Amino acid sequence: MKQVGRSVRPIGWQAITSGTFAYSSDLKPDGLLHGRALRSPHPHARIVSIDVSRAAAMPGVRAVVTGADFPAGVYYPNEGSQDREPIAREFVRFVGQEVAAVAAETVEQADAALAAIDVAYEILPAPFTIDDATAAGAPRMHQRPIKLANVARVYKRLWGDVAATRAAGPVNVTGTYWYPQQTHICMESNNTLARWDKDGTELHVWTGTSAPQLMVDELAEMLNIEKDAIICHEAGVGGSFGSKSRISEQEFLAAVLARAAKAPVLVSLTRREEFATTKTRHGFRSTLSLHADDQGRMHGVEGTIAVDNGAFVHSGYSVTAAGLKGLGTMYRFEGIDIDAQLIDTCKQPGGQFRGYGSTQTMYALECLIDDLAEKLNIDPIDLRRQNANQPFTTSPTGSQFQSVRLTECLDAVRDAIGWDAKKADRRPNRGVGVACGLHSSGSFGPDGSNRADSAIDIFIDGRVLVRFGGADTGTGQKTILAQIVAEELGLAAEEVEVLTIESDRTPFDLGAWSSRGTYYSGNAARRAGRAAADRLRTLAARHLGNGAIHLEAGKAVCDGRSIAIGELVAGAPETKEGVLTTEISFVEDAVHRVDAKFYGNASGTYSFAAHAAEIEVDPRTGKLRVLDYVAAHDVGTAINPRLVEGQIVGGAVMGMGSALGEEMIHEQGRLVTASFINYAMPRAADLPEVRTVIVEGGDPKGPHGAKGVGELCITPPAPAIANALYDALGIRIADLPLTPDKIMNALAARDGRVRRHHLWRRPSQWWTAFVRWCYPRGLFALLHRYGPVAKRAAAAASPALIDAPRVVDAVAALASGATAIGGGTDLLPRMEDRIAAPTSLVSTLDVTDMGGIEFAADGSVSVGAAVTLAELAAALKGRCAVIEEAIASIANAQVRTMATVAGNLLQEKRCWFYRNDFDCYKRSGPARPCYAVLGDHRFYHAAIDGHRCQAVTPSDLATAFAAVDAEVDIAGRDSARTIPITDLYSGPGEARLQASETVVRIRLPASAMQRRGTFQKLNLWEGDFAVVSVAMTAFAGPDRALADPRLVFGALAPVPWRARRTEQWLARRPGATAQELQSVLGEELNVAAHPLSKNGWKLDAAEGLAQHAIEILAGSSEERSKSPAA
Amino acid sequence: MTLRIRVNAQEHDVGAPALTSLLDVLRDHLNLTGAKKACGRGECGACTVLIGGRPVLSCLTLAGRVRDEVLTVEGLGPEWAALREAFAEHGGFQCGYCTSGQIMRAVALLRDGLPADRDEARQKIRYEMSGNVCRCTGYNGIVDAVLAAAP
Ligand code: FES
Ligand code: FES
Repeated sequence: MKQVGRSVRPIGWQAITSGTFAYSSDLKPDGLLHGRALRSPHPHARIVSIDVSRAAAMPGVRAVVTGADFPAGVYYPNEGSQDREPIAREFVRFVGQEVAAVAAETVEQADAALAAIDVAYEILPAPFTIDDATAAGAPRMHQRPIKLANVARVYKRLWGDVAATRAAGPVNVTGTYWYPQQTHICMESNNTLARWDKDGTELHVWTGTSAPQLMVDELAEMLNIEKDAIICHEAGVGGSFGSKSRISEQEFLAAVLARAAKAPVLVSLTRREEFATTKTRHGFRSTLSLHADDQGRMHGVEGTIAVDNGAFVHSGYSVTAAGLKGLGTMYRFEGIDIDAQLIDTCKQPGGQFRGYGSTQTMYALECLIDDLAEKLNIDPIDLRRQNANQPFTTSPTGSQFQSVRLTECLDAVRDAIGWDAKKADRRPNRGVGVACGLHSSGSFGPDGSNRADSAIDIFIDGRVLVRFGGADTGTGQKTILAQIVAEELGLAAEEVEVLTIESDRTPFDLGAWSSRGTYYSGNAARRAGRAAADRLRTLAARHLGNGAIHLEAGKAVCDGRSIAIGELVAGAPETKEGVLTTEISFVEDAVHRVDAKFYGNASGTYSFAAHAAEIEVDPRTGKLRVLDYVAAHDVGTAINPRLVEGQIVGGAVMGMGSALGEEMIHEQGRLVTASFINYAMPRAADLPEVRTVIVEGGDPKGPHGAKGVGELCITPPAPAIANALYDALGIRIADLPLTPDKIMNALAARDGRVRRHHLWRRPSQWWTAFVRWCYPRGLFALLHRYGPVAKRAAAAASPALIDAPRVVDAVAALASGATAIGGGTDLLPRMEDRIAAPTSLVSTLDVTDMGGIEFAADGSVSVGAAVTLAELAAALKGRCAVIEEAIASIANAQVRTMATVAGNLLQEKRCWFYRNDFDCYKRSGPARPCYAVLGDHRFYHAAIDGHRCQAVTPSDLATAFAAVDAEVDIAGRDSARTIPITDLYSGPGEARLQASETVVRIRLPASAMQRRGTFQKLNLWEGDFAVVSVAMTAFAGPDRALADPRLVFGALAPVPWRARRTEQWLARRPGATAQELQSVLGEELNVAAHPLSKNGWKLDAAEGLAQHAIEILAGSSEERSKSPAA
Repeated sequence: MTLRIRVNAQEHDVGAPALTSLLDVLRDHLNLTGAKKACGRGECGACTVLIGGRPVLSCLTLAGRVRDEVLTVEGLGPEWAALREAFAEHGGFQCGYCTSGQIMRAVALLRDGLPADRDEARQKIRYEMSGNVCRCTGYNGIVDAVLAAAP
């Protein structure tokens, strides 16, 4: 059977699906220590002194290292930039940079020791953005050869005939596009286990890497030891997406801590560290002009690009260069003229990320092409087809194409998405968009880039082992190598084993990056397989004669006679210790490093793709939904179609993530989006199935005609969706991601809508307005810099867990200082963040009176505080839509199974500054600022009633309960009271409870079950907290009247907010339309609201949700079912 | 303190502080490393196990409060072989780091049953499994695998 072209199951699937596949952090050698890093709290500072003496003496601590432990002149080998020392010595340049590291017996001991390291800093001014860094008088971050402050490198790229291009292309379109920093977020955070053997002369590492040999080279250079003194061992790698193709900081830290402690050390980044300190995709601001003639022939592109480097050069030089090169290579341009600068900023640095620069530049180009298409009145697909590269041509940038099937890809998506029909039959708020991309199959980077070696061991028992010096990070690399070799040896792929990573046993290969795994490693494996097969046939000829011998099912076969491969191995003179080894080297001579002008052919072959998206926007809320998505790829031959599809789909979804929500938001240099819940990446329900088309056809140079696929798929999604948005609504949003705020603001601008809040008429707001006015004028800077930070409570060593059978027991425990814990889904993370530091916990789950749901004869319902969300939803199924829908929108199935009703109501505010370690007013004391006022408050902060703190009550259940007049039973040591749910809150996520008090039950009046209602929520991803929500209920009255209505908004004000005037109007207005409701509500909101500078759009979205709600209530679900938020 | 806990049909006595998470007990004390700590704070689903048949996040479950039997991916019986194979067959994983959590969530979901209509079933899988982040697959393969394993 053909092995190439088969969708073989991934090697190792049994271990992976049974949970026994081991990643570095699953290994537990004896005497394992845990390494942790002390990180800079400042974005830019001079280290005045570091004192580790207290830390070194703490229990369990076995090693402490600082920058002083390394000689001056040791740097991360980042493209020769020599700008980042392994541990900061004199300066720190981003929040999170390593200042010291500790190894201790437990993680807790290590963390305690970090807290005991005394560092004195002199704080320096810090530029955070490209504009800050390039402004006149900006503080300089590095001493670099370039005179301009904070410019790490300047690029001038001229390819082809630029003057002729301008002359020939009189039609032009221009635009500035921003592609923000994005982070990889491998599900396995960066983990490294290191151990020194042989008296500290031999280093063993188990680490998540996609390029073990490159990592070893870089680590050896930094440690100043021989390369072969480092042995990297095979372990699972939980994702890379580019991030693990060079040395990472924890690899160095684990090695030096293990050396100092003389014991194995595991450094495992926490998820917050993973978000906030690892390297990101570089942010690109591209201003481009595209020249064409009136027939649609694109002649060239020119412009300027500014790249946000972050604090250090980690591949920034080559990422920028690759972005420029991709721009010049994508279409049949004649001239390209781009000036670019790589700009230093005091943020976590950029690094290698799938797509490598061209994702960013292609976004700009592909959007401009649609603008051009509109200007020329040419169909966007036709325009691209007309300018597509052709096979076996050379681009003005020097890339020598082999197979090129871009036109075929465009035709495939046109067909699959139903382009022509959809363009002809316009549906409101819907649009289709297309975009293309190209990528090399392994660019020439470091020395040895154009070479890969492969070794095949055949054992006397017939087993076959392929030894491969790279790694499989989940791309299926191992599996395709097994297929390629199996094909040559006449075996099934399942019979071939593959060893990766083991750096002392595997031959030369620089690993998986630049989509080189298929092309280089595959070509090497194919040649090695062929050589091994030839050798076996020669050996077999002695037994079988000189007829045509072929290999099949572990035997050499000729004219019906056969001999087992193992026997041939046993009889071969070169067989050593029962193994016949074939090792070859594949070198691609036709590629070279690009020259100083960036001209040249750096890759053996190139892959192309076209993607098309159909989207729908809810103009009431700004929510963009992708309805259909097709990705057509020219990958040559698919060695394993299922794995190729997997790469395409995974990359496309990651690309859609950056199109729709993902961005690294920093405030004062500190990452705000530092957790899964603050980083809007796609969940399963957020996107449709991605449909793939593999455009068939081989490539003359790829192994079996295959080309690279891993990176290209991430490039087209953002422009395809942005183009579809333009097609739908005629709005062009140049800054990714395309979040609802930008869409609502663009729609308001398009339609000329402005909100007027008449603050001068509202004295109650004057003070807040005045303070907000002062913030950018010095007040914020003052509080941020000098506001004293209250010391955070130290976590109790080991809080006790108290059992409480009855409410009185629970209350007694609370009175003596315990903290109540329900499901724990909010409290435990707060404890980890040291927002909560309880001395003991009293569990509400076993308190009898706090459980159960009781339906009384009068129709009312009493819900125990410790009832879980899932239980409540099940009990109210079909009885109370507003609560059911609210619960269905909360988090996810697991959380709903665990979290309790009272826990949901009493969860703390989710302000992303408060929760992500900012020393804000609520967290660190009265003289600290609120970071939301000037920081990013577009989504999760109040637009009504915000005062000193802008946070909101995050509980969706509170919003829904308020719409059914729920009441809360509260018990204290000497009190019992019942209050309306709306009285429960004194502020954002802050309850009016005495220390000894707890919520015991929730009472839903009988009317709650009779009201018709709905809960509608706008958020950024499935399970996210509300950006805005509305709970609307009413009794169905005669003449389509909504009797005694409730209209309650969540996440709009610090506490659930009732639109009482609109409620009264609704009660008087049977048959009110959505339109009328919007205008009445709009007026009420205008009078009540006092939005921050960038969250006024939430008021528009609130009106939009209310419109949906009234249509649902009024039963006019026809309109509704067409809406994307349905 | 000593916790008595039943995991994969076996009783264990574990000496650990009162607030130890179930995930730490599984990984550090019982050497069941299938469940992963990809966030440790209830935001990703990689640590999903079943308690009394219901899917929970073991990183936010206090081991001392666990009353019912815990089932982890390592304890899945032969009746779930088809589901595991479906993950391999349909591209349900790439790096495999989220996979134990995905499979355990899928086990609970399949026990609850899926709608007969395939499109509805797909939608339900996507919704119900949205607490399990996967950064590699783009979810197509996971949805296909779960659907293929449905009776
Ligand atoms: S590790 Fe438990 S949810 Fe992420
Ligand atoms: S398979 Fe890698 S995260 Fe899901």
